[in-house]
Amino acid sequence: MSLVKVEGLHKSFEDNHVLRGVGFTVEKGEVLAIIGPSGSGKTTMLRCLNLLERPDQGRIEVEGKVLCEPGPDGKSRFAPRNDIRRAREEMGMVFQRFNLFPHMTALQNIIEAPISVKGVGKDSARSRARELLEAVGLAHKEDAYPMQLSGGQQQRIAIARALAMEPKLMLFDEVTSAVDPELAGEILLVMKRLAKAGMTMLVVTHEMGFAADVADRVIFIDHGVIQEEGPAREVLSKPQQPRTQAFLKAVLERAPMADDEASAAALTTSDELVEGLLIGHDVRHDEKEGD
Amino acid sequence: MDLEFIVEEFPGIWEGVPVTIGLFAWSLFYGTLGGLLLALLRLSRLRGLRAVSAGITWVGRGIPPLIILFIAFFVFPEIGITLERFPTGVLGLALWAAVYQGEVIRAGIMGVDPGQWEASEALGMSGRHYMRRIIIPQGLRIMIPPYFGNAMTLLKLTSIASIVTITEITLLAQRVISFKFVSLEPLLTIAFIYLALNTVLQFAQLGFERAFRLRV
Repeated sequence: MSLVKVEGLHKSFEDNHVLRGVGFTVEKGEVLAIIGPSGSGKTTMLRCLNLLERPDQGRIEVEGKVLCEPGPDGKSRFAPRNDIRRAREEMGMVFQRFNLFPHMTALQNIIEAPISVKGVGKDSARSRARELLEAVGLAHKEDAYPMQLSGGQQQRIAIARALAMEPKLMLFDEVTSAVDPELAGEILLVMKRLAKAGMTMLVVTHEMGFAADVADRVIFIDHGVIQEEGPAREVLSKPQQPRTQAFLKAVLERAPMADDEASAAALTTSDELVEGLLIGHDVRHDEKEGD
Repeated sequence: MDLEFIVEEFPGIWEGVPVTIGLFAWSLFYGTLGGLLLALLRLSRLRGLRAVSAGITWVGRGIPPLIILFIAFFVFPEIGITLERFPTGVLGLALWAAVYQGEVIRAGIMGVDPGQWEASEALGMSGRHYMRRIIIPQGLRIMIPPYFGNAMTLLKLTSIASIVTITEITLLAQRVISFKFVSLEPLLTIAFIYLALNTVLQFAQLGFERAFRLRV
């Protein structure tokens, strides 16, 4: 039985149809990377899984429990609030912007939910939290407040906080996008270890190296539709769809990715366009110096 | 200005200080409770409750505080709410405070980063739990300056209780004015008292801001 089963997911924000019938499954122990251009719907898809975003249509099943399914009128019908809460306990989520509780220390951030939601005793919650802090390399930071920590450290605390609930599944939403590039490595290392330990992971990411190294499978999503799906190395090295090819080229070469021919033209580096950017600037230094 | 006169008449006005403080403290207390209720109703899932809260706030903020006080004194007895003079004054001022502090509390709660709600929900916390442990503690920090702003306005507003003959400092000053035919000295005296009391509030605000500052 698949751990996660998603079928025909649709979600719109106002007139913006972000997800247009997305479906996939995740097996236990699998690491699934979700890639795609900005605005493709990948983050929305991830957020639908634990119902932070409520799908308009479709079916979500986690561990055989139905969280969302089409009702008789075609609109989504959701599991009762308590069932959703219980399902969320099984799904750890790590956010792009960490979302640590700023008024609590690292340790307090980690033990809050286990104590209040799972009813774990204070002492065992604390000792488990210390183990987790050590595992993410921050044993010496248990009394630090989030704002005293770097982005990379905060994100590792956030991972520890999610793990403290002993989830069966971890959701990662562009977790390195808000940290300085040199700090991304320490987060990715923790995730790599987690994957090795057998955690089931859904990872929305722009880190293609990480996807190639760690993911078993890759989903490429664009315009709210899964365009391509397959074993990580295959999709990343030999993409079949033109959209996937263009996207990977854009990410790997830092080349611009255009939606159509008109904007492709605007993204060239012709002299005329470069000068257009400099209107009003005095770029004729040599002439001036001659005076 | 006659300093000697001020010294002479000061004790008479001074007697009203506990009344002024009492009016202020009790109406701030009940006003805060009422404001909390209004804010929670306004953030409720049920549209009816939201509408009730929005309606009360709309009326309460839209009419002069003096009229609210008159309603407490002359309309409420008609519908069976009869209280002594002082509690009636507290009731009127508390109603005013409730609609204003209700908006402060609501703004504080809504001002908390949406990511905090999401992180709490993603961890499986119940709404009741994360409101108490995560949202309100952070919202308080946002609420402190406007809350104390309203509190200082409320302290000055207690002076309208003189119109319904509660013997707070403004009424006592007015009595001195009408009996002794001087106006500057008694007015300066109570101005000084209001300023002194509000200075205490201002320091309290600073203290709270310091206590709730995030550690960086």
